[in-house]
Amino acid sequence: MSRFSALLLLLCSLPLWAGQEILPFEDDAKRQLYQELVQQLRCPQCQNQNIADSNAVVSIDMRNKTYELVQQGRSKQEVIDFMVDRYGNFVHYSPPLNPLTLLLWVLPVLMLVLMLWYMLRRRQAVPTSEASNPALEQELDAIIDAYRSKK
Amino acid sequence: MRKWLFFAPLAIFLGVSVFLFTGLFSDPWTRDSALLNRPLPEFDLPDLMQPEQRWNRELLTGEPFLLSVWGVWCPTCKAQLGFMTELKEQGVKVVGLYYPLPVDPAFGDHFSLGQLQRDVQRELAYFGNPYQFNILDENRRLSLDLGVSGSPETFLVDANGKIRMHHVGDINPRVWRQKFEPAFEQLQQVGLAYQGAQP
Repeated sequence: MSRFSALLLLLCSLPLWAGQEILPFEDDAKRQLYQELVQQLRCPQCQNQNIADSNAVVSIDMRNKTYELVQQGRSKQEVIDFMVDRYGNFVHYSPPLNPLTLLLWVLPVLMLVLMLWYMLRRRQAVPTSEASNPALEQELDAIIDAYRSKK
Repeated sequence: MRKWLFFAPLAIFLGVSVFLFTGLFSDPWTRDSALLNRPLPEFDLPDLMQPEQRWNRELLTGEPFLLSVWGVWCPTCKAQLGFMTELKEQGVKVVGLYYPLPVDPAFGDHFSLGQLQRDVQRELAYFGNPYQFNILDENRRLSLDLGVSGSPETFLVDANGKIRMHHVGDINPRVWRQKFEPAFEQLQQVGLAYQGAQP
């Protein structure tokens, strides 16, 4: 039985984040910060990989720099600022709100508002048109009843 | 309202078409360097050929020049050496920033300056040597500060040490004519006027 459950547990083991280099950290907070950063920073060489996934030379250098800065006790924002200062906003997966990126942030909200407005308008429009015709309603009821009684 | 709605699909179609059409000609690799119009970062690095000679930002100011990030391991860098040598003969100052590949001691690799110098000498003798001198970017520290993502990359730096232009990819006659030449000539004239004004 215990063998079986062990096997079951093995089958259920979640895919682990393998392939990370083993770096010494003195506390878990720093390790976590480092992991978070390397997954949020984008490799400038390889279009759509974070620096944790990429093995481009520049990603290796950026990981090393991130490690160095985290070990120095810099905050998350400070490390991101350091990288953005050199590689531009491209390097971080969440772009900041500025005149250039305004459209990115505003467009989805605008679409949502427009959709809601359209939906509300339709809902208001429905009872005033067809449903308020009692003769048509009666006719429809008659047809439905006739159909049901046939069965 | 009705009439306006009738034309809406056409308008949306045209809008999407224009957007996608311009996308055909946009290059995801071209983006402005974050360092444009900012001074060169501070550094203190050795010369590739004479390691006892050290270079820093102040030693590089005085006249406009091209800072070319390259390495012998990079085929596109080889391809641009010939044309850049022509530029040098036309009086363009080119400084090399040598971008070494990382060595992994776990695989028994080690960095040998002597071997690197021999490789560089052989390559420059064969393809042409545009460089006034080469700075060895140990650990690619300056490259990181410059926002370099690979090689070849080229920066145009003015006489005050300010970065004026950045190019990812090789320098060929077309890129030089269209992108660098007008700006370089302007910088040179400004530099000459400035030198002329000095007593």
